[in-house]
Amino acid sequence: MPAAITGRAMLTCLGDLESTFAALADGRTGVGPLRYGLPDKLNVLAGYHIGTSSAEGPAQATGWLTHCVSAALRDAGVDPGTSRVNVVVGTGLRELRTVEHGHLDGTQVTGNQLHFRRAVRAAVPGVREVHTLAGACAASGYALALAMDMLELGEADAVVAAGCDAMTESMLAIIGRVGERPADMVRPFDTARGGAQLGEGAVAVVLQAGATERAYGLVRGVGLTCDAKHETAPDQNGIVAAMRDAYARAGLGPERIDLVLAHGTGTALNDPTEAAALAEVFGADGPTVTGIKGAIGHTSGSAALMSTLVALETIREKAVPPVVGLRTPIEEARSLRLVHPERPVTQVTEVAQVNAFGFGGVNAVTIVQAPQRPGRGDG
Amino acid sequence: MTEELLAEPETSGKQLAGKELAITGFGVLSGLGIGPDALVDALTRPPEPVDVSGMFTEPLPRPDAHVLVDFHAAEHLGRKGTSFLDRGTAFGLLACRDALADAGMAEPDRARTGVVLGTTAGSLKSTSDYSRDTLTEERPYHVNPVLFPNAVMNGIAGQAAIRFGLRGLNATIAGGPLALLQALRYTGVALATGRAEVMLAGAVEEFSPQAAWSVQHAQRRAGGTLPAGEGAAVFLVEDAAAVRARGGRPDACVLSVTCSGSAASPGPAGTTDRLRECLRAALDQAGASAAQVRTVALGTDGTPWLDDAEETAVRQVLGAGAARLGTTQVTGVAGSASGAFPLAALLARHRAEPARDGELSVLSTRSADGSVAAAVVRGWSRAGGDHG
Repeated sequence: MPAAITGRAMLTCLGDLESTFAALADGRTGVGPLRYGLPDKLNVLAGYHIGTSSAEGPAQATGWLTHCVSAALRDAGVDPGTSRVNVVVGTGLRELRTVEHGHLDGTQVTGNQLHFRRAVRAAVPGVREVHTLAGACAASGYALALAMDMLELGEADAVVAAGCDAMTESMLAIIGRVGERPADMVRPFDTARGGAQLGEGAVAVVLQAGATERAYGLVRGVGLTCDAKHETAPDQNGIVAAMRDAYARAGLGPERIDLVLAHGTGTALNDPTEAAALAEVFGADGPTVTGIKGAIGHTSGSAALMSTLVALETIREKAVPPVVGLRTPIEEARSLRLVHPERPVTQVTEVAQVNAFGFGGVNAVTIVQAPQRPGRGDG
Repeated sequence: MTEELLAEPETSGKQLAGKELAITGFGVLSGLGIGPDALVDALTRPPEPVDVSGMFTEPLPRPDAHVLVDFHAAEHLGRKGTSFLDRGTAFGLLACRDALADAGMAEPDRARTGVVLGTTAGSLKSTSDYSRDTLTEERPYHVNPVLFPNAVMNGIAGQAAIRFGLRGLNATIAGGPLALLQALRYTGVALATGRAEVMLAGAVEEFSPQAAWSVQHAQRRAGGTLPAGEGAAVFLVEDAAAVRARGGRPDACVLSVTCSGSAASPGPAGTTDRLRECLRAALDQAGASAAQVRTVALGTDGTPWLDDAEETAVRQVLGAGAARLGTTQVTGVAGSASGAFPLAALLARHRAEPARDGELSVLSTRSADGSVAAAVVRGWSRAGGDHG
């Protein structure tokens, strides 16, 4: 059963949704010098930070999340006081950055602060259930799936699916360990890609059952699988299975997909595997493929939903953001119609696919569609 | 006032969309030992915490805890692939393996089997060790790369999928003591929407210096004195109708799960109010009356105000008649696993005492952040009784 996105909010290194999309469409990147930890020792020099200050505030992930959840509900005009509203948050690292600060400067942190139940309820009083899914880089895709399922079962009038992440030094260390030399930015599907650089931010969408006139778009379905193969390396079979699950739930086939927002992490393992999976599913004449991590970084738990909102903006604006950072595509991606930064693409898109894959072999693939507007030819 | 009214748990509609959940097997381990018998024994003969002072080189807040001091993953899971497992992952794998075996499901339909595990902070030790190595080792590539899968928050669920070939949805719920009931809630949704036919649902927590200090701080702040614990409990869950259709017999049926909470009043009175409503909603959705409930398994965690708030709500809804069952006193404070041990204890007791066949129990859980959850469960022994 499709659900309508009736409210939304996003916060990235490039600003809110509007300014982020404007920058994406212009092919700009928000990458800058890494502000956390000791970049030389971490072997990570670049990051996609929010704002201009190098000072970290307390509990940043929580702050960005609650901002977006409140704003999305306001945008949708949904009042948790009069409607049954649940919130599902997807995150990779939750509030572990605050734990790290606790080690460094004695900041007090309790176990309950690591997930977001209390913070979300304080920001939007009246919400009923709040769940935090720790699903690495597919987390907000999993959150969207659970939100869809709750609506399908009639368990809520509206469900907020959200994502958030702040960088931790331990995750930066992992990233620094993977690459031999520190990368300057995320370069999805590029032959000289140097690995993922982390992005900060949060995102939230309000989902309501059925198609409504003022929807930003429809979520047709979210496919979920686990590779059951390797802890950190993605697996083509698992990814393809998630795509096929998504098509089955959306009630359409791959031939209906006009655009793919790829996971595209710029890592040695993801990009060839994802490209091969896309080629397997779509064959020789596949849809346009783009990815946004070169512009906003790898936003981990937020990544799936951020790509989902960008997909819907693309549908609305009829302009496809390029793969910022891409210069020469890898061999495996040669058959894909990647949007090169120097060759802009404008097209009418009706149905888009959003990929998100995470450590632990977790995969979430989302199918979104243009809003249905009765009486209009392009609906 | 308004916020209090707004925060009431949902009471309309079937929470699990008509799907009754059947538990057809479970695996549990704690500081008491591996398997359900140790848990049942401990309920009648509470053990002392053990000496843990030799376990780690880092300082510990106190010398005792309820842990498996001599646990070695390879002894239980074989040598292959176990040399770098952190304790939590090993516990999770063991509990998943035992749950599958207990249900007689050595080869589940892998594409249709999912995993959802509760956690408090993943492996806080792995994450912390990784951070520290990053800062203390000369170059980042001296950091041991085999550690890093353990530092991934959803690593245990991912490892379980790899080891047992489970390709259905794979989720980790960060919910502390509420996480098990949230995992069961998630399981109900996943089965009802056809995302899985079989789910392993459970919670895991490992003992480490980091975890011990975290428990110590929380206990001291709230006036509690319990030591830390560790372990895991995992339940194999299927649609009850499907189990009956194939002639199977559930160990227990989860008749309802409700989750609720409010940030408006996380203190004692607010927690009592919300838990009372949550318990009523759970009974209502299960179609059960308070008088039918024989046992209530409490989330007791040794912090006086929270334990009192819970008992008050339970008394208001279920009266004094239902027997109380608390596990934290014997397992120690083990985060999300503490939320799973009570259900394991209920099931273990059913298995040991056929006279309890068909009895109705309530699970009550609460967290210091003002969140509450409850479930209604009917259990059986395997010796006989009406499993339908």
